[in-house]
Amino acid sequence: MIVVMRLYVAGRAPNSLKAIANLESICRRHLKDRYELEIVDVCEHPHRAAAAGILLTPSLTKMSPAPTSTVIGNLSDTSTLLAALGIHAGSVE
Amino acid sequence: MISERLPVAPRTSGLQAEAAFKEWMRRFVTGAAELRAFEADEIDAVLDPVTGTAVLLPKAQAALQDSNRLVLGVLDRLPAQICVIDARGTVLIANRAWQSFIAAHAGAGLGIGEGANFLAACKSTGPSERMRAEAVAAAVLRVLAGEGGPVSCDYVCHSHGVHCTFTLGVVGITGDGPAHALVTRENVTEHKRAGEPRGSVRTRARRIAAVAQAGIANRVLATVPTKQYERLLSGLEPVCVTYGDVLYEPGEAMRYVYFPSDCLISLLTVVDGHRAVEVGLVGREGMVGARLALGTGASPVRALVQGTGTALRMSSTRFLREFRRSPVLQRAVFRFIDALMIQVTQTAACNRFHEVEARLARWLLMTQERLSSAEFYLTHEFLADMLGVRRAGVTSAAGALKRKKLIRYKRGSIAILDQQGLEAACCSCYRVVQVMDLEAAA
Repeated sequence: MIVVMRLYVAGRAPNSLKAIANLESICRRHLKDRYELEIVDVCEHPHRAAAAGILLTPSLTKMSPAPTSTVIGNLSDTSTLLAALGIHAGSVE
Repeated sequence: MISERLPVAPRTSGLQAEAAFKEWMRRFVTGAAELRAFEADEIDAVLDPVTGTAVLLPKAQAALQDSNRLVLGVLDRLPAQICVIDARGTVLIANRAWQSFIAAHAGAGLGIGEGANFLAACKSTGPSERMRAEAVAAAVLRVLAGEGGPVSCDYVCHSHGVHCTFTLGVVGITGDGPAHALVTRENVTEHKRAGEPRGSVRTRARRIAAVAQAGIANRVLATVPTKQYERLLSGLEPVCVTYGDVLYEPGEAMRYVYFPSDCLISLLTVVDGHRAVEVGLVGREGMVGARLALGTGASPVRALVQGTGTALRMSSTRFLREFRRSPVLQRAVFRFIDALMIQVTQTAACNRFHEVEARLARWLLMTQERLSSAEFYLTHEFLADMLGVRRAGVTSAAGALKRKKLIRYKRGSIAILDQQGLEAACCSCYRVVQVMDLEAAA
């Protein structure tokens, strides 16, 4: 099953860069090629963030599979991120 | 300028102000997870629900400003000339290469700096550049409207004492906000002057086939016996030359000689560094660079492409080698030089004594013969340069020929409607030059 995610960032701001690096690391390790990630820059596309109800950046939303979930911050808390993505901690696929 | 597009947070100075700012932003943050991330300094921006814009926190703001400075620094270090244009046509960013060109060439070739309007600059070019400038403006507008992909256009500049050919690239930068256009300008004068078909690869067999075909069209090469011509083939290269290209500037070393197949080259004498008048016209009956045969390596004139088409080009060194070993080629080249001298002296006398209308008629007939086409593109300003008169003089003369139904003139396109009538309208110089051309070809 493909995990579909959208990460909202603010350009190349420090927490946004960290969030991208952290998420890509987790995805490489646990999801390999079974994920789709779209990165939305809120400085370029503020309306997309507003439409999705995103207040703080960086924010990650998992859109599928259900249930949807949101993680706010630079995604350095691996266990919170894995739980939000529905990945059991310690599983390396 | 990049930072202008990012929402600017209230000005902060010092830790106290930063804390106050964070406290102000904190009012937008609700919910436990949000508060935790905010307090842990993991947030870069907060979306202001009232304005719908992202407000950057101080650290993120500083980091993005650094990043913007870095981007601008990188742009400045690129050799390509680059500028960024906003939706209204204003130049927001112009990199160092772009600005250096403006400084060196006094604003030629749509050379405007930051804060100026690119679209307005396109509209205010001289008549000789207007059609190309309008095409560039149209491309920028299409890209800004999100209607077109990347566009590349050639732009020939003959103003401000500059004679250059540029390739202007236009590409859109889109986001939620207003679109921007990235414009790059590359000076391709050298490529064009050398006639190099950039980016294309020709096999030797295809090249020789093209040369063999094109060579027949040129009368100087056509006089060379088949065996000798076969030897010449390996040194000849077909090149496409475009209206407005400059093959030589006065005083410049002639690296190549050109044998026109279906293009037309004007030889212009430049006076006072910027005023030019045509002294000769070379088409398939002759060659450009024949002066090499007289032992001189520099061009006394500007060789300007008048009619787009093809020519065969040969390096000067090779030409001299072939010239020395072939008496037939020597005779053909000397005959052409003789005919060209007659044309040049006759043109000088014609420019002094004959009316503009008669000179224009002569010039149109000569152009038609050399291009083998009864319709060609020319602006009044270009014609004024060719005939050494004011633009108003050309307008009046062209109007007179048009009223006599000898030519049709519309938006720079001239068509000869009545060949015999035009011959009757032109001065005696036409006959003199025509007879000499025929003798040279015999």
